[in-house]
Amino acid sequence: MKSPFAYQPRPRPLQLASPGASVAYLGAIVLVAFLYSNPLVLVAAGVAATSAGLLAGARRAVGLALKMGLALGLLIVVVNAVVVNRGETVLARLGEWPLFGRVDVTLEAIVAGLSGGLRAAVTIVAAAVYSACVDPDRVLRALRPLAGRSALTATLVSRLVPVAAADAARLRDAARLRGPGAAAVGKGPLARRLLAGSLDRAVDVAATLELRGYSLDAPRARNRRSRSRYDRRFYAVAALLLAAAIAGKVLGADDFQTYPAVEIGLGPATLALSALVALSGLAPLRRKPKRQAPHHADGTKVPLYGGKSSRRQSGAGVARV
Amino acid sequence: MSELAIRRGAAPALAVRGLSYAYPQASQPALEDVSFEVSPGEFVLLAGRSASGKSSLLKAACGLVPHFHGGEIEGEVRVADLDAIAAGPGELAAAVGYLAQDPETQVVSTTVAAEIELPLAMRGDEPAARARAVEEVALALAIPHLLDRAVDTLSGGELQRAALAAALVTRPRLILLDEPTSQLDPVAGDELIWLLRRLNEEWGVAVLLAEHRLERCLAAADRVLAMEAGRLSFDGAPADFLAWSRDNDPALETPAARLFSLAGIDPLPIGVREARRTLDHCGGEGGTPSERLVLLGQPDLGRPATPHPSKLSEEGVPPSQPLTFGATGLWVELDRGEEPRDVLKGIDLKIRRGERVALMGRNGAGKSTLLRAAAGLHEPTAGKLSVDSIALLTQNPSDYLVRERVGDELPGETGLAALRVVDLEHKVDADPRDLSGGERQRLALAIALAGQMEGEQLPGLVALDEPTRGMDHARKGEFVRLIGELAQRGAAVVVATHDVEFASEFADRVVLLGDGVVIADGPMPEILSGGWYFATEVARVLDLPGVVTPEQGAAALRGEAP
Repeated sequence: MKSPFAYQPRPRPLQLASPGASVAYLGAIVLVAFLYSNPLVLVAAGVAATSAGLLAGARRAVGLALKMGLALGLLIVVVNAVVVNRGETVLARLGEWPLFGRVDVTLEAIVAGLSGGLRAAVTIVAAAVYSACVDPDRVLRALRPLAGRSALTATLVSRLVPVAAADAARLRDAARLRGPGAAAVGKGPLARRLLAGSLDRAVDVAATLELRGYSLDAPRARNRRSRSRYDRRFYAVAALLLAAAIAGKVLGADDFQTYPAVEIGLGPATLALSALVALSGLAPLRRKPKRQAPHHADGTKVPLYGGKSSRRQSGAGVARV
Repeated sequence: MSELAIRRGAAPALAVRGLSYAYPQASQPALEDVSFEVSPGEFVLLAGRSASGKSSLLKAACGLVPHFHGGEIEGEVRVADLDAIAAGPGELAAAVGYLAQDPETQVVSTTVAAEIELPLAMRGDEPAARARAVEEVALALAIPHLLDRAVDTLSGGELQRAALAAALVTRPRLILLDEPTSQLDPVAGDELIWLLRRLNEEWGVAVLLAEHRLERCLAAADRVLAMEAGRLSFDGAPADFLAWSRDNDPALETPAARLFSLAGIDPLPIGVREARRTLDHCGGEGGTPSERLVLLGQPDLGRPATPHPSKLSEEGVPPSQPLTFGATGLWVELDRGEEPRDVLKGIDLKIRRGERVALMGRNGAGKSTLLRAAAGLHEPTAGKLSVDSIALLTQNPSDYLVRERVGDELPGETGLAALRVVDLEHKVDADPRDLSGGERQRLALAIALAGQMEGEQLPGLVALDEPTRGMDHARKGEFVRLIGELAQRGAAVVVATHDVEFASEFADRVVLLGDGVVIADGPMPEILSGGWYFATEVARVLDLPGVVTPEQGAAALRGEAP
């Protein structure tokens, strides 16, 4: 079964954009999450990453990443609450714990953990959207003129991972199909067999790369791919996010303090930045093409199919849209 | 030599002179003093048994030997006037395309379009030129609808076409193919061969095709090369090859040629059409072959009684044997990463001990899924499934071999009993990697059987999934004997296969699946003589109900009861 995080080509703006534009856009969302600690801004970044993934059709990847991200976020909250004793608002005194010493659960530690957890969740969701929506081939080929060997290694690995996963599934099936009189197969022999098989596979894949001319000197100037019509949109949103994030920092939009007492700034700058970050998640929205009525040579409009006009009735110059 | 001169045919597409090659640390050379030329636009078939040197020769022609595999090489290999031994595979990529047996390791990109575009991108072609080349090769191979698909969602046939497109996109002078149809069903296999012929005729691409199922491609070839133990043993026209193989290596004979040999008819036919024409000439004009046999004075031979009618009940099952497999309204749904799909859609099937069943159908028809469901690897979504005991050998026997000694795979008396069934008890101390391909397959079968036998009594069902992929005719013969022995010992043997000629040799019943449902189920001679794709070459030549093998056909042509 294919991993939900595996790249799936779809005719959506995020997939059609060049890798640079997609990476800039998703990277800007992650950067906001790393620049800010205010939970409202972090939630907005999470909303943006989630919306971007859903609009790009990566529903399964986003769903799974949200589960993983929220689980990791919860873990961070719990660990922070247990490990950090700072904060004025003690919610529970849990006494002396081995290794941890005195454990007081404070509201401030929980909120601080929540901020870190949100940041981790945003990063995981954005990474999942990148994985499911950005073509790794195009990324690697873009990198090839800069770092040929690294790109070759990455190409080999990216191809071998799904092949090795399929091999492992087959080996597991074969192990299940062994008769009860055959020697049982533990994880060790199975892993050794998988490794040996992967080396053979790697040789085959490397031979294919060789035959496709991968060993030739990487052409630089002529290897540029034509740009997508969505590139400008993603670069613009990324630039806007970065500019807003920097301006927000200057204007105090990251007004957030956890210790000794929780203070969450909800001023206009924070609210405006959060709204902007959340709205940036709509960048991968696919616009339906406008139904433009064609024109005759004399400049008069041709009616859309189904409409009536004297020209159509005369049977001349009718266009179907 | 100028580019134009090469295009116009002044230089051979491939010139091999005095080529000898040995893999690193190999005791025997893989190629010995091989010399031949392939002219531009020529379609050459490379025949030979397994391990005769076909693959090594193809790898030498595309530069993988010696550049990728190492070893010692002597002689000269020139591809479109480039020195293939001096140049690497990357430099040869523009002049030669190569397609190997397993399409899975021949794709390195995420999407089909990216895969096809890769060689052009590596060469530094402009985006516009790349887009046009991709479009044209996709149109030529009838795969424009696949361009945006992810490669891991393609079927074997689709993947093979995508890999072929990537090999052809640079418009090479020569395309090398190493058993490209071995994993394809008869329909996809025939399509691929005729696609190659069309490319050969319209684009002028020279083709060097290594293949075991010669009946599939002999009619498309201009010339045949035969290899034997690393040497070239024949080089000539297809018709001459048939006469040569009859006298020197009958394992390379096509079924139609064998039919004519046995019936004493000359010349030997290179394909179905030529065989029919020869029969027309023998028996007068017009009508079906059975009518022509009537003209030859053999009026009863055209309609032989359905073979083995007494053996089969209405359900197509010998009623005297106990039932070992039963499926009633069996549905299986699989999720391969996209949308879940019903692969089996209400299968009704009964199989009794002692039956030899060929399970056939297109790629993706549900053959493997049915066997895997029987072995408990897939849960039925609906319906009933009962199997008393089963040993399943999947498509890759090497998956069963994880230890370095045969005896360690199969310890104790139960292990020895299983080895005896497959006649490998004398290999107990061997390393499985040192066994031949056929022996490895038998060892894997023994591993699946071990401990499932009561004394010498086999499990009720022995299931084999595509066991003859890449096998030559001689090895298939060994397998036919093994299947016969297993059935004689009381097991029902079910073999999922695309190979109709192999099915005609071992099966007494054929179950044909189409898109998850049973579309035909009956005695082998009836099913394999009643269609076009799922019919043997002899059946297509003679068009006589129930006549599928060369022996049956020759008997019919000689006026004997088949």
